[in-house]
Amino acid sequence: MPLSEKAIVCACEDVSVHDIDDAIAHGFADIESLKRYTGLGTGPCQGKSCEVGAMRICAQRRAVPPEAQVPFRARPPLVPTSLAAYSGLPGQVTGPRITTAGLRPTWGKGPHPLQPQTPLPDRVDVAIIGGGIMGLALAWNLAGRGAGRILVLERGYLCEGASGRNGGGVRAQWTTPTLIELAKESIEFMGRFAQELGINVWLRKGGYLFLAHDQETLNRIEYGADLQKRYGLPTRVIGPGEAGEIVPQLDTSKFIAASWNPEDGVVFPWPFLWGYADGARKRGALVEPFTRASGIEVSEGRVRAVQTDRGRVAADRVVIAAGAWSPSVARLAGVELPNVPYRHEIVSSEPLKPFLGPLVSMLGTGLYFSQSMRGEIVGGMGDPDEPPGLNQASSLRFMARYGRALGELVPQVRAVKLLRQWAGCYDVTPDHSPVLGETPGVAGLLQMSGFVGHGFMMAPAVGRRMAEWMGGSKDEIFERYSLRRFAEGRLIQETFIIG
Amino acid sequence: MRISLDGQDIEAQEGDTIAAALLRARITTFTRSIKYHRPRGPFCLAGSCGQCLMRVDGVPSLPACRVKAQEGMVCERQNGPLGVEKDLFRAADFLFRDGLDHHHLLTGSRLLGRVALEVARRLAGLGELPAQVPAPDRGELRVVEVAIVGGGPAGLAAARAAGARALLIEREARTGGAELLFGAGQEHGAGQAGLLLDAECVGLYANDTTVPGNTLLAVRLRDRILAIVAGRAIVATGGVSQPLPFPGVDRPGVYAARGLLGLGASVGRKLAVVGDGDEQQRCAEALSKRGYEIVLVNGVPRRALGNPVKALDTADGTRIRCDAVAIALPPAPLHELASCAGAKARFDGKGFPVETDDEGRTSVPWLFAAGTAAGKPAVPSGEIAGRAACR
Repeated sequence: MPLSEKAIVCACEDVSVHDIDDAIAHGFADIESLKRYTGLGTGPCQGKSCEVGAMRICAQRRAVPPEAQVPFRARPPLVPTSLAAYSGLPGQVTGPRITTAGLRPTWGKGPHPLQPQTPLPDRVDVAIIGGGIMGLALAWNLAGRGAGRILVLERGYLCEGASGRNGGGVRAQWTTPTLIELAKESIEFMGRFAQELGINVWLRKGGYLFLAHDQETLNRIEYGADLQKRYGLPTRVIGPGEAGEIVPQLDTSKFIAASWNPEDGVVFPWPFLWGYADGARKRGALVEPFTRASGIEVSEGRVRAVQTDRGRVAADRVVIAAGAWSPSVARLAGVELPNVPYRHEIVSSEPLKPFLGPLVSMLGTGLYFSQSMRGEIVGGMGDPDEPPGLNQASSLRFMARYGRALGELVPQVRAVKLLRQWAGCYDVTPDHSPVLGETPGVAGLLQMSGFVGHGFMMAPAVGRRMAEWMGGSKDEIFERYSLRRFAEGRLIQETFIIG
Repeated sequence: MRISLDGQDIEAQEGDTIAAALLRARITTFTRSIKYHRPRGPFCLAGSCGQCLMRVDGVPSLPACRVKAQEGMVCERQNGPLGVEKDLFRAADFLFRDGLDHHHLLTGSRLLGRVALEVARRLAGLGELPAQVPAPDRGELRVVEVAIVGGGPAGLAAARAAGARALLIEREARTGGAELLFGAGQEHGAGQAGLLLDAECVGLYANDTTVPGNTLLAVRLRDRILAIVAGRAIVATGGVSQPLPFPGVDRPGVYAARGLLGLGASVGRKLAVVGDGDEQQRCAEALSKRGYEIVLVNGVPRRALGNPVKALDTADGTRIRCDAVAIALPPAPLHELASCAGAKARFDGKGFPVETDDEGRTSVPWLFAAGTAAGKPAVPSGEIAGRAACR
């Protein structure tokens, strides 16, 4: 069997010149999108041997202007480094902290050099601010219902925000009925996403295993399992022995029980956005990356228009679906949201042969990890001392804390090498439940935010229901989860938050 | 000294890396590629490219070109379930000649999609879980005024200019950097600066600890990490050998020219040296001194043939027989440490040098870059950055 004539650019991930041309043809010429679409630079060498070759091809094809010929955001570590090495870092690294500035854009000041040159329409029916999973799912659903002219504004590339930075976990194990229902419907949709939207999202139902380390947490998972059973989920509370059969590498002395739903899973997050964006465009919606909303015009209690760095667009309705940036977007309309952004960090390991079925999470520490379809252990861990702020920079502190926590729970992965770390922002509300529906005092300004790091796994259902509600159907969640609840003291507490 | 590869004994010499020992034994297929199971062997021979990863003493995916051979070391090749030499999954490369578009594979059918998922899941990944369970090694934290990463000519010049206030961090056991490959690099030392050898800086962060200093470096010393808080940092990490995308460039037997210069073994007699200009000339001369017979090849070859590569079709259609191919392109600036801390870098046709001002300062006020990493001449830019970082 002779070797094929592929001209390989990225040897780690087997990406050829042909693949790069294909990605450019699909509109993924900017280096961040090119990396995500082809996978180049995501292997053990992290782009050190392919990034230059790929950019040379992009430059030769005139696919990107010189100002956009920048490297993709480099991610520590520089070379693969074991979990054990990080876990020994001293207390000064993980102890008291000061606040640091986030990262600036790689391309410099002002609009992105790849901002589309075409004019935006003067008027649309719905302008959606935020081209993450929420905004795009809504756009696709609205466009499918003939809801008029729809415009999605995304300030960066698709996947730049939290929708492109999450760990890919999708689960129906929640402690409020609405979230259980939204997640159930969404996971069901993910199973047929490829047929609906024409791109694979690789939903792998390996289950979710929540570990409880103390009695209080055990009470929480028992409450959750009871509720989930009533909503038709197969969730069970199991002992450490059974959990150890599901994941033999776990140190079962570190927890007293676990909540197990074998039908939860993990997906590959990026194709969701591409699929929804492509689908929405095919249905006539405008999805505009590298375009920033700079103002929201409100007069006589009604939203009138969105100002962008490509001009003004009049709109009857404006939807704020900007994730952790939603409070700052809402402020453009003079509206204060109670949401607060918090950085959460993730790290991906070297690719390993499959050994880990479920996503495992320790509820006490917020540690979670799963194995991606590419074989990497992708995991993160919340930090109770993280200061609020829109910070997408990585930290050594996280690597030390994660390395220690994961190495204690799963000793066998201590010698596994970590490849790349990154950060994204959770959009955190006071009760850990979303903000949906009308804005008091500003007719036509709609909220679709506050998903506290799990919007990704709810978006298909939320997008559908919001589109139907905007079309005139009654749906009580847009009342119950409205912004008004904070003023009226009707909080809806969700307790299964991880990461 | 003997090591074993998939159960077979291999003779190794004192000072050999695993890669050197295997190449001397004429073993060129080190692994199979992740998607198409194409045969792969070492390329950069400098720990950058990821083409020579193998399981060593129970630890997956270690770079054979960086791990020193030791008596009794057990090496196992990965990702070839039925043997890496004759891996049956290489059919994937043959069946999907133009490539396999995983995004749009079998999207039409839910059932076939599930089958694809199960197959893809089983084929994914490179190594098996480690067999070793190391105990966490205690790291520590040091504080310095100026941290200089990279002990090549630029880093050394910066160290001499900065003096005792600086600490020079070098990943090899001696300073000199890439110049050592050409028999130079030992004329100058680090002056009064402190020296940390066998130390690889793997991360450069904004310092979020309460220890005063702008930046926090993660420096790997064998299996532990030393955290260093520094007031300022100078990145003088040099460059990385680059391949050239033509069919067959990824086959065993195609090496970075600089990689071969640093290799303690010969890969044959006749070398086709692909490249242009000074870098090609310089590498060809140095390789010729190592005893290779050299054929210079300009332009992008049409294809490399054989496994390991035994011939090269040039752009003008000539077929050149050879024992191996060496790619001699100017090393691309290793910008990653600086750019992950937020410093800007821009494509110049050959790579992404870190942008610096006349003083070597990057777009991050406490971060400087010098030498190849900044696309500047090593010694003057190192001196300037070393002085500016102390101001």
